Amino acid sequence: MEARVVNKGQLPELLDKLAKDYDLIAPVQEETVVLFRKISGAKDVFLEYTNSDISPKGCFLPQNEKTFNYTYTGDSIEIKKPEGAQKTVLFGARPCDIKAITTLDPVFEGEKFGDEYYSGKRENTVIIGLSCTKVLSTCFCYAFEGGPCDGTGSDLLFTEIGDKYYVEVYTDKGKALADAYSQIFSKGGEQLAKDKEELAKKLAGEFVRKVDLTGVKELLDNNFELPYWNGDDQKKCLGCGTCTYVCPTCHCFDIFDYPTGDFTGARLRCWDSCMYPEYTLMAGGHNPRPTRKERVRNRFMHKLKYHLDRYNMVGCVGCGRCVRKCPVNIDITKIINDLKEVAQNA
Amino acid sequence: MDVIQQLREQAKKLLEEKKVDLVIGFGQGTELARTTPVFIDSPEGVSALTWGPFCANNLAKYLTDYKNAEGNVAVVVKGCDARSVIRLLDDNQISRDKVVVIGVPCPGQLEWQKVAAEVKPGASLKETADNGESFSVKTDAGDYSFNKKDYMLHRCLVCENPNPVIADITIGKELPVKTYEERFAEVSELEQKSTEDKSAYWDKQFSRCLRCYACRNVCSVCTCQICVFDQMLPMWVSKRTNLSENTMFHITRAFHVAGRCVDCGECDRVCPMDIPLRKLNQKIHKDLGDLFDSPTPGSKPGIPSALGEFSPGDPEEFM
Amino acid sequence: MLKRLLEYVGFEPGRFQARWISGSEGAKFTTTIKDMTEKIKSLGPNKKMRDDIV
Repeated sequence: MEARVVNKGQLPELLDKLAKDYDLIAPVQEETVVLFRKISGAKDVFLEYTNSDISPKGCFLPQNEKTFNYTYTGDSIEIKKPEGAQKTVLFGARPCDIKAITTLDPVFEGEKFGDEYYSGKRENTVIIGLSCTKVLSTCFCYAFEGGPCDGTGSDLLFTEIGDKYYVEVYTDKGKALADAYSQIFSKGGEQLAKDKEELAKKLAGEFVRKVDLTGVKELLDNNFELPYWNGDDQKKCLGCGTCTYVCPTCHCFDIFDYPTGDFTGARLRCWDSCMYPEYTLMAGGHNPRPTRKERVRNRFMHKLKYHLDRYNMVGCVGCGRCVRKCPVNIDITKIINDLKEVAQNA
Repeated sequence: MDVIQQLREQAKKLLEEKKVDLVIGFGQGTELARTTPVFIDSPEGVSALTWGPFCANNLAKYLTDYKNAEGNVAVVVKGCDARSVIRLLDDNQISRDKVVVIGVPCPGQLEWQKVAAEVKPGASLKETADNGESFSVKTDAGDYSFNKKDYMLHRCLVCENPNPVIADITIGKELPVKTYEERFAEVSELEQKSTEDKSAYWDKQFSRCLRCYACRNVCSVCTCQICVFDQMLPMWVSKRTNLSENTMFHITRAFHVAGRCVDCGECDRVCPMDIPLRKLNQKIHKDLGDLFDSPTPGSKPGIPSALGEFSPGDPEEFM
Repeated sequence: MLKRLLEYVGFEPGRFQARWISGSEGAKFTTTIKDMTEKIKSLGPNKKMRDDIV
């Protein structure tokens, strides 16, 4: 695999150039919160974070997306789709979040049906990942085949080593970008590969959460009605959407029409949460997930089983945001370990 | 005797004597500096109960879940949580004879993220103690001290009353009630700003809102069975998170709980985007005081709700 | 209370007013609406909480 080197001191110059030539989306800090926004230059970027509060999945699946405007002209309906995706660079996403984006791909770019809004953005975006240099107590990406310096899904992966960034080129898209800014991406860097390996090893030893998935999937495959789901988690869950909205792999959405009067309007696709009671409420009043127990069970079944079954990809990437943000400390790592015990005692 | 020990003994007694079928309390969470709500239905389970400066949750929220359950419920409450209990009882959300209130005077609660940033990752908690101006936290990886001024939850810095005003059982000694010169200092500061500045401030805060509804769901007095924001027909707010709808949500919710909000500060704590929601609800508390001479709802049993009752002396600016 | 809350969030004073007018107070209704219309016109278009769908 090819490699490049970028001097840390040249990063602001690179970001300024990218902001001019592309829509550059990078981490910013708004008061105490770190999230991804389109920025106009290097001065807005904030990189002193371990992981952001909101994942960059909004680059590809925005929280609010207008799918088209409609006008009823009396004898026909005119549909006007928004402009296609602009060429974009997503800079500074962590490996767990980038892996999460790859788990969204089979959902929106299936064999039979494709989502042009998602695909358009995906095709036109270059993903420049940024390896972690620290591990939080809530991180557990290793449990889901990920790692703090894993380049899966990145076009380019930057790893900070001393006063340089060791850049791995994973795709042609990444190579094209590196070549286009060759005055900043110097060739070479192979000697930094060893440093990166050492960093990865060091970080791997810093995880404090022990998460072991052994036997969990098989248990869930064969037992939909586990007494475990009647426990405390469904009692303390508030049913808010926090976990689903901060999660980089969650992708549920609601589609509705928003009339703007005079027979015009727009159709919108916005994030929705399976934790809301009305998420599965059907016309007629039937709700297959009537209480919190069913909804809590569904969430973890989805993350640990359904996504794997359907797309042969993990449903969770171990970013730990749900663990950090849950108001009542519902913890997927605890649930996984509890389920493992249940499986062992069965 | 140690608060935790007493708590467990009292809970065990309640369950053994079948005075309650369930005890809702705090249990050790999955981070050293966190607790999680625990629901104990057997005397053997009381060993899960704990207490300390990491018990920020308002457990009174869960009372409405057991309104129609057979049997009684005991709930562990701090000073602020007790106000929620009173408010719920006054609103007939649960009947008094179904609830056993275990009150614990609270010396303050620490912000877990701030504590976690200082403590060695992966350490286990051994014990905590209140040292007046600070908390000592003993772990198996060392002892730490956290001064209250810098590490406590914002709301605890202006705690109205650390002693639960309603309690069937009180555990721990009564704590001094502090008075504050300017209880609504932050609100006043914001009020003095110009309209443009006020608007810009709240626009900045609300633009981050995800509409996860954590604030609404954690609120102990948000008890509507069908919330206006969940209705599709008519669609008062859609699922869009633009500034207009976010502002609509926050203003409407603040106003819907006006007069019943007990200033427990949970909405502020749970917001994943750090929106200072308490500043919004506190404005209403300030106005309630100015206009209706009303104390904080729930601060005493049986206070009529200022916006729920009419008395001839009420201000009538709209006439 | 609502008026104060709206002003606190950044609406210009005067944009929102509440009046109690009974069915038989026609004159009061007229003057109130006239005054309010003038006030709003002098404030200009409202920028706060504008919908942004295009």
